[in-house]
Amino acid sequence: MDGREALRIAIRSVRGHKLRSTLTVVGIVIGIASVVTFATFGASVQAEIVGDIGDSSAGNIYVFGTPADDEGFDRVLQPVFTTGDIDALERLDGVRGVIPRGVVQVSSIRANNQTLARQQMTATTPGSVTADSLVSGTAFTSGAREVVVNKRMATAFRENLTAGSTLTLVSADGSERPVTVTGIINGTRGALPISSFARQPRIYGPIDPFHESVVESPSAGVRQRAFPQVTVIAEPRQIAETKTAIETYLGTESDARQLSGATTALVARSGSDFVDEISDVIDQITRFVTGIGVISLVVGAIGIANVMLVSVTERTREIGIMKAVGARNREVMGVFVIEAALLGTLGSVLGVPLGVLVGYGAAGYADVTFALAPEWIVLAVVVGLLVGVLAGLYPAWRAARVDPIDALRHE
Amino acid sequence: MSETAAAESPAESAATDPTVVVETVSKHYTVGGRVTALDAVSLTLAEGSYTAIMGPSGSGKSTLLNLIGGLDTPSSGTVTVDGQEVSTADEDERAAIRGTAIGFVFQTFNLMPRLSAIENVALPLVFDGWAETDRRERAATLLADVGLADRTDHLPAELSGGQRQRVAIARALAPAPALILADEPTGNVDTDTGGEILDIFDELHAAGNTLLVVTHERHVAERADRIIHVEDGNVRDTESLTGGE
Repeated sequence: MDGREALRIAIRSVRGHKLRSTLTVVGIVIGIASVVTFATFGASVQAEIVGDIGDSSAGNIYVFGTPADDEGFDRVLQPVFTTGDIDALERLDGVRGVIPRGVVQVSSIRANNQTLARQQMTATTPGSVTADSLVSGTAFTSGAREVVVNKRMATAFRENLTAGSTLTLVSADGSERPVTVTGIINGTRGALPISSFARQPRIYGPIDPFHESVVESPSAGVRQRAFPQVTVIAEPRQIAETKTAIETYLGTESDARQLSGATTALVARSGSDFVDEISDVIDQITRFVTGIGVISLVVGAIGIANVMLVSVTERTREIGIMKAVGARNREVMGVFVIEAALLGTLGSVLGVPLGVLVGYGAAGYADVTFALAPEWIVLAVVVGLLVGVLAGLYPAWRAARVDPIDALRHE
Repeated sequence: MSETAAAESPAESAATDPTVVVETVSKHYTVGGRVTALDAVSLTLAEGSYTAIMGPSGSGKSTLLNLIGGLDTPSSGTVTVDGQEVSTADEDERAAIRGTAIGFVFQTFNLMPRLSAIENVALPLVFDGWAETDRRERAATLLADVGLADRTDHLPAELSGGQRQRVAIARALAPAPALILADEPTGNVDTDTGGEILDIFDELHAAGNTLLVVTHERHVAERADRIIHVEDGNVRDTESLTGGE
């Protein structure tokens, strides 16, 4: 049979029941649009976050403790990495530099009589504040009461902080330390640690004088500064090897191994590990939410099946006519499958732009850069077509089985 | 031209192959008990003949028409149309026979409501695999032949009963069938229009087509060469009409 003629009959039938066809198509439009919306929004969020982290930190290897039974992304923040460990890590092959990091608890920060409660300060080396991460000003100086803040922190006060501003750090015991802001960083570039998401207010200062954790080094037998986490800057081409070397060192001779409990594993994670992990998480969430969208698509498919069953009943006589003038069963089936596929395709074709539009709006609302998920869009159209065909198969099969004698008598 | 057209039994039709041969055909239904709709009926339609089947409702005439038309299969016996055995053909083969060897004209016209006149006429050719331009050309010619050249793009709902039946006749003629089957073709039109329809049948007969008309109206049946009276699933008698046109 001429496919175009079957399509013509299908189009006439769809147009013959405008309201019914419209409502059926709307069902598919909603299904496809929600799938595309969620997929697009997920892709946008993913691209944004991966972009944030992945920019320049792919060569960073983060060293920290983690619960031994965990997959290794939760952190146990105990000061176990001693100065001796840091020196040892610096001597490993493929290591360009080691940046220890400490966390300094600050109960509040005050600037110009305005107080922000419960803030953390990261103590690290001046070298971790690289030129490309600085928006303005300079890095802090080791030994000085100086800090740099990220943009989010700089704008957290009524009066924006600038290089030269003065802050007062209030610790838990009530003691106050005035510090000078030397620079503003954007927080997404450079060797600063992974936790420096640009979205949170952050404040960084030198290890000396801010970081005060001290332990007795089991290997050296003397008291040394100790840090809960360390960032290793690796040769970009040797990240995997360097990571292995670090984990080997940590697992055997390090002070950290002896200082941390048996339930803590010491791990090295590269920036790309984090990117992969976060991508995986976002992927899972996207898939889950998209799955909910798929449910509405299934509901739309049931709508098609329903309408096609009604259509077969209504057009019993037409089926009889087609059979009387020589239509074979599969040709009768074809007419109805094409009609169902037409409804499904119409729904996809209208649903995809709607979904992209809503996804675009959602991305704008969530303040993430819009990113398309082309494979999902292609999939959505294919699924819409398939859904139509599948939903139409049973009604079409019923149509093909209609007895022409009964059908021609049908009123 | 029709005096010798109808052979009285299959054995006597050696000269030209008859268009339709029905041989001891029975049809039983099981509705509650066993119902015999046709009981060992035999008949032959010679090429170019014009035959009417008459009988009260429930006589089995519709069943006979369905069997000859390849819409149904007999419980026993054989039906041959244009040399093709309909009774043993599978569904697809019967569909092909219906589409190419038989043209149906129904009491209620049975046109596709959303297809235009020309598309309705061309429909059998769609299933026979004709190209679109060929289909339209043939359908336009046939519509012109039945006097509807100016109605080709009208939908059935926009046509009168008589015009619809003429579209149906044009559709029946589309595949140049060996046999035209008409089931109460004048049942749904007024007397004048019915006369016009029967005139078209006469013309078709004159042009050498083989026609079989099922009717319960005597004046319709009298247009044929002969009338086969069916009653209680049997052929009661066959009436030859001299001078029937």
